[in-house]
Amino acid sequence: MGNSVIARRLGLLAVLALCVVLLVLVPYLPSYYVRVVDSILIYIILAVGLNLVVGYAGLLDLGFIAFYAVGAYAYALLASGQFDIHLPFIVVLFIGAAAGAIAGVLLGFPVLKLRGDYLAIVTLSFGEIIRIAINNADELTNGPQGIAGLDRANLFGLPLTSPVHFYWLLLVLTVIVCAGVYYMERSILGKAWRALREDQDVVRGLGINTTTLKLLAFALSAAIGGAGGVIFGSFQRFVSPESFTFQESLLVVLIIIIGGVGNIVGVIAGAVVLVILPEVLHFAAQYRLLIYGVVLVTVIVLRPGGLVSPRFNLGFIIRKVRTLWLSPSKT
Amino acid sequence: MALALENVSKHFGSLVAIRNLSLSFDVGSIYSIIGPNGAGKSTVVNMIAGSYSVTSGTIRLGATALNRLPKHRIAQLGVSRTYQNLRLFDGMTVLENLEVCFFPQSWLTFLTGAKRLSKAERLEICHACLAEFHLSDVADVLAGDLPYGRQKILELARAFVTQAPIVLLDEPAAGLNHTETKDMAAMIAGLKREDRAIILVEHDMDMVMSISDRIDVLNYGELLCSGTPDLVRTNERVQEAYLGTTEELDDIRKLAQSRRAQGGLRANAGIVRH
Repeated sequence: MGNSVIARRLGLLAVLALCVVLLVLVPYLPSYYVRVVDSILIYIILAVGLNLVVGYAGLLDLGFIAFYAVGAYAYALLASGQFDIHLPFIVVLFIGAAAGAIAGVLLGFPVLKLRGDYLAIVTLSFGEIIRIAINNADELTNGPQGIAGLDRANLFGLPLTSPVHFYWLLLVLTVIVCAGVYYMERSILGKAWRALREDQDVVRGLGINTTTLKLLAFALSAAIGGAGGVIFGSFQRFVSPESFTFQESLLVVLIIIIGGVGNIVGVIAGAVVLVILPEVLHFAAQYRLLIYGVVLVTVIVLRPGGLVSPRFNLGFIIRKVRTLWLSPSKT
Repeated sequence: MALALENVSKHFGSLVAIRNLSLSFDVGSIYSIIGPNGAGKSTVVNMIAGSYSVTSGTIRLGATALNRLPKHRIAQLGVSRTYQNLRLFDGMTVLENLEVCFFPQSWLTFLTGAKRLSKAERLEICHACLAEFHLSDVADVLAGDLPYGRQKILELARAFVTQAPIVLLDEPAAGLNHTETKDMAAMIAGLKREDRAIILVEHDMDMVMSISDRIDVLNYGELLCSGTPDLVRTNERVQEAYLGTTEELDDIRKLAQSRRAQGGLRANAGIVRH
């Protein structure tokens, strides 16, 4: 074992330690920054979820925020004074995910035969339909006024009150969602999705029911969106239709495209960049959107495949770490 | 198990692509469907695989009628195929292109795990298949990065990896050079088995004549002749369909002679369309 191997191992340890230290230090930041990090984590969860449909199965879904809305309103209706129902947070988290999945299948059925632009248009409309329905269902949702005073979330007796608490919750959930999606990506299901993206007709010719495959993608992705919505609701303790506009759907899709389609590492990078960018640009309030747009166009022009190369994915990192540790001679 | 077409017709609008075709394919043999361009060869393959619906008649696999089933069900019952133009999953590795074939076939097995191959079993089968088709060295290469000839072989491997009893090969030699075509023919001949019927649609006559047990000749959507390679080779009607009638042939010869006399015969001037 040469010095270089030891040096590389130390380098790797240093990088890992740095990541852990950074993650542990977040709670000591001023509250504003913790909120930004929370927001990044929520968008990572959403984008990783949407990536199942857009990145793996190759179905462009522009109405993803509808599932987020379903989750958020599930919490608003089941854990607030609205109907005086006060279910525990963890229960609503699962209900929200299930409601999201059902909404995903409901959207999935009519769009099964659509692809590309047509699918994008219909999913976009679906997102708007959900928002407009919420906006008009006054008895249920208070319409545009929204629902305020949602219950404080409570996790096994631990009240979640500050952004720091949500930071830990979101961090754990982000890791779970990323690990789960990574596992799916590597499983035969992930391979079938990628095949579906390339040639749907051939996939059917291999004896695979593409209907099931697509609905599964829609359902799982929407479940993640729904769970994200429940956390959002419990964090804000206020929901209104304004939070679920088309802009939000677009932001999640942009995170995937800017970061790197079908790549979890890319999606994380995309979420970090696109959530931080508007915050950084606060100093130039008037020119914010202009600069934002210029940055997006620049990225698309210079790196059309996204910020992160498809080769630099979670699998690549895990393989690197593993070979460096177990059989360093191969590296 | 046998695959049978019973009085099958296929109309595209007013065009009759296949007219009252009855054919039977038993396991254990290699069959070739040949015919001039537009004779309906690919239509037959596409109907069997479920890509095209059948206008009238029945296609049966054993006792099961295939022609009302969705395409993936037909594949699950044991009909696999290749395509006229390569249709691999270019962005996936060679190994993954085979692995995908073992996706669980129904919700139930997906949930319960019953009857499902383990990952290790799946990989073992795929690696064995890669070895059989001499693709082991490129298992982790993206399919789209392979040279054309090996892509053709990978598509062949994908059709055989699940041990389907009926394998449809749509022009496996298209685009291959002479040596590659010979290798392909040898490979397909070697894939003949007691529990498998291989049905070939192919233009390369050397290949068809050398490996087929039976040749079915289609012309204008009808069966012109069916039999062993020797029988088909000497059949007059087949020669007519392919080369034109003897009078036409004489005309062409005369024309060629006069051109040659003028010294202006071009190398590619000999394509005859009937």
